[in-house]
Amino acid sequence: MTKKPPAKMSIRDFKVFHGQEESLRGVTIEIPAHRILGIIGPSGSGKTTFLRALNRLNDLAPDTHIEGQVLLDEQDIYHPAFDVVSLRKRVGMLFALPVALPMNVFENVVYGPRLSGVRNRKRLDEIVERSLKAAFLWDEVKDRLSMSGLRLSGGQQQRLCLARVLAMEELEVILLDEPCSGLDPISTAKIEEALTILKSKYTIILVTNNTKQAARVADDTAFFLMGEMVEHGHTDKIFTTPDDKRTNDYVTGRFG
Amino acid sequence: MRIPPKYTQALAVTILGAATAFTVVVLVFIIVFVLSKGLPGINFEFLFTAPKDMGRAGGIFPTLVGTVLLPLLAIAIALPLGVGTAVYLTEYTRENRLTRVLRFGTDCLAGIPSIIFGLFGFIFFVVMLKMGWCLLSGGLTLAIMVLPTIIRTSEEAIRAVPNSYREVSFSLGATRWETVLKVVLPNALPGIVTGVMLGIGRSIGETAAVIFTAGSALRMPVSAFDSVRTMSVHFYILAREGISNEKAYATAAVLIISVLLVNLAAYGMMHRFMAKRAR
Repeated sequence: MTKKPPAKMSIRDFKVFHGQEESLRGVTIEIPAHRILGIIGPSGSGKTTFLRALNRLNDLAPDTHIEGQVLLDEQDIYHPAFDVVSLRKRVGMLFALPVALPMNVFENVVYGPRLSGVRNRKRLDEIVERSLKAAFLWDEVKDRLSMSGLRLSGGQQQRLCLARVLAMEELEVILLDEPCSGLDPISTAKIEEALTILKSKYTIILVTNNTKQAARVADDTAFFLMGEMVEHGHTDKIFTTPDDKRTNDYVTGRFG
Repeated sequence: MRIPPKYTQALAVTILGAATAFTVVVLVFIIVFVLSKGLPGINFEFLFTAPKDMGRAGGIFPTLVGTVLLPLLAIAIALPLGVGTAVYLTEYTRENRLTRVLRFGTDCLAGIPSIIFGLFGFIFFVVMLKMGWCLLSGGLTLAIMVLPTIIRTSEEAIRAVPNSYREVSFSLGATRWETVLKVVLPNALPGIVTGVMLGIGRSIGETAAVIFTAGSALRMPVSAFDSVRTMSVHFYILAREGISNEKAYATAAVLIISVLLVNLAAYGMMHRFMAKRAR
């Protein structure tokens, strides 16, 4: 056994309730830094609920409450003293459908930094170039930064959204909620390539409906089913010799 | 027996077409009628000189000024209040009994005849607060009158902003207020402008509430505590007292043209704003 790297996020017996319904039933998992954690499972298994709990986007839904703990660098993000705004700057989210805000490419990317008070034009320019390069979009849009983000293609919009997340200078963790579900294979490959490079700097949690995608890019994989985390381990192990029969059934395509 | 689809289709087109044609013809007739009677009376002197002999001769300049100032004042008061209320109801509260009661209340308020607002304004602002018949009393009364319209149209516009925009904004570390300011309001703007236009239209055309609160003095207003007469009121008095039909029609024509210009200006501004965002 090699020594385990320190956990970036620790989730302890974490439950989410929507009204009376328990959408997430006591998940416990350590998420180490600088790795990609893939989360797989059929729809309705609680993957997205879990992901949205990690930057407290679930707070916005009415009638939702939680139990248990989510620690980011040993600090409980659900503690009343924990600042949600700063949490969301440290834990960024990429949604399933690309949502370019109805403003130009440049303003889309600097949305986060502007909120953090970056005013210096030169610094904003640098942020835009750095983020768009990291999202493999720079070459396609560098001459069209003042064009509306809505006029980009779906694949480009999703990379714009990634760049927008990467533009946040406080960013430590990237959450991705089926980021490639609506994209063509080439755009998907670009996002995946970006992720494998980005993990040296960030911690990445990738929810995906596509088990092959998890097998391709994730270092570790967790399998969710009906609001429970069935199994979690190295991706190789989950896909070749899982402990649980249900995991085996899912990754071999027998259900889900 | 079923009527063959070919005929029902033709019937539908005929009926709907007739309804549209009727509406358009009536509207065009009114406008053409007023303009044809009024346009000959409009000239530079009519627009920019004061009326003489109760409006029997001379121009309408003070009422033109009144027509600009009064709605402007009303909107200046109602816009922040209305949009603020709409933002509060949509973004800061969850749907509950209170919001439903408030919404029902604004809907009822929107349907109240303007003379009731006028009476309220008269009793409250003019008499109780001893403000007298003046621009300010009238502006406040009209503001209350158009407030429900502005609240409801703004609310609809804000509700129509996709929730995904809000989620993205929050996920990038924006507070609720920053999200409202940077994402919600800019995208709701066309709807809000529509509400404001309706409000301006109502204020410009209002007579009952204005006579009760702003009075009908024909002098040029020099302060917010001066009585003013708007074109609508002027038109009403000219026609009702039988002072001058010719001047009444000319005033009505100016009124129609100004409403048209206000609408054109607003749509022009909105188009430029939208084009800037969509480039």
